[in-house]
Amino acid sequence: MTVIDSHPTGQSVPDPWEVQLRKGCLELAVLASLWNGKLYGLEILRRLEADSDLVVSEGTVYPLLNRLKTLGLVHSEWVESDAGHPRKYYALTPAGKQRAREMVAIWTQFSSSMSKLLAPLGKAK
Amino acid sequence: MTIPADDAQQKIETYLGSVRARLRGIDETDVRDIVTELRSHITDKVAASGGATPARVHAALAALGAPEELAGQYITDNLLAKAEITRSPVRILDVLFRWASLSVAGFFVLLASIAGYFLGGSFFLCALLKPLHPGTAGLWLIPDASGDSTISLRLGFSTAPSSGKELLGWWILPLGLVIGCGLVVVTTRFAIWSTRRYRASRPLPGN
Repeated sequence: MTVIDSHPTGQSVPDPWEVQLRKGCLELAVLASLWNGKLYGLEILRRLEADSDLVVSEGTVYPLLNRLKTLGLVHSEWVESDAGHPRKYYALTPAGKQRAREMVAIWTQFSSSMSKLLAPLGKAK
Repeated sequence: MTIPADDAQQKIETYLGSVRARLRGIDETDVRDIVTELRSHITDKVAASGGATPARVHAALAALGAPEELAGQYITDNLLAKAEITRSPVRILDVLFRWASLSVAGFFVLLASIAGYFLGGSFFLCALLKPLHPGTAGLWLIPDASGDSTISLRLGFSTAPSSGKELLGWWILPLGLVIGCGLVVVTTRFAIWSTRRYRASRPLPGN
């Protein structure tokens, strides 16, 4: 994945803090990727890779989708594909939409206050 | 070089079989769903990369992580989700048993949780049995021959120890209920907390 290449310092080991930060955002990112309609697992992964700088691990996303389903935040359905095998599509439930809105509110509040605090550090650079 | 479709399929099925074997305990329909979804994902990945060569199949499987890592993610995610919906000790212990079979950390969390629930349950039971066994149930201090003493939580089915002293009397009733419930709650929190810690400490498989 992109950990090594995208790392700002170019070091080969990803910063553990950065890894935790990205991991923490994954749940919101997955919910957000489903905001405009249903997607199957690989589409979600591609959407995350294309539209966010998240380090997306396949082995993390599928269990996470399973958990979101158990929690009733997404529901899933099997759809026969042209490729000859069924694909499992996920869509947000009303509870999932509600949860996503709550998380966005927390995120926005948090990131704007952090940006305020961090502004002088950016200028010092 | 492309490999025969059968060989590629065989390799994928071996991997999926290995994941499936480690998901025992999760509902059978869920396991079937998980395995079918993974198969569909791997097939799509291999096809998108240009067809089944040994390297492409290998890469698709490696990106998902080792079977035990992937199964561990499903099991701990499942535990966290269940714990959020129900705080039932039975459900939590049920999932901890699967986790314990996959990792040393899970094994110790399971041991500690069993101990916590057992002690909590014993206090609770002792309090409930006190009205039925007023003279024998309770927390006893029993001196032994060597001059040492043991503290024993007795449910009161057997006769009272001859030289022992009951410490709490009827206080065991409210205290036992409170301590019992408290221990169960603390143990549940501990199980959830350690699962979160464990998950946070895992490397992202496939990177």
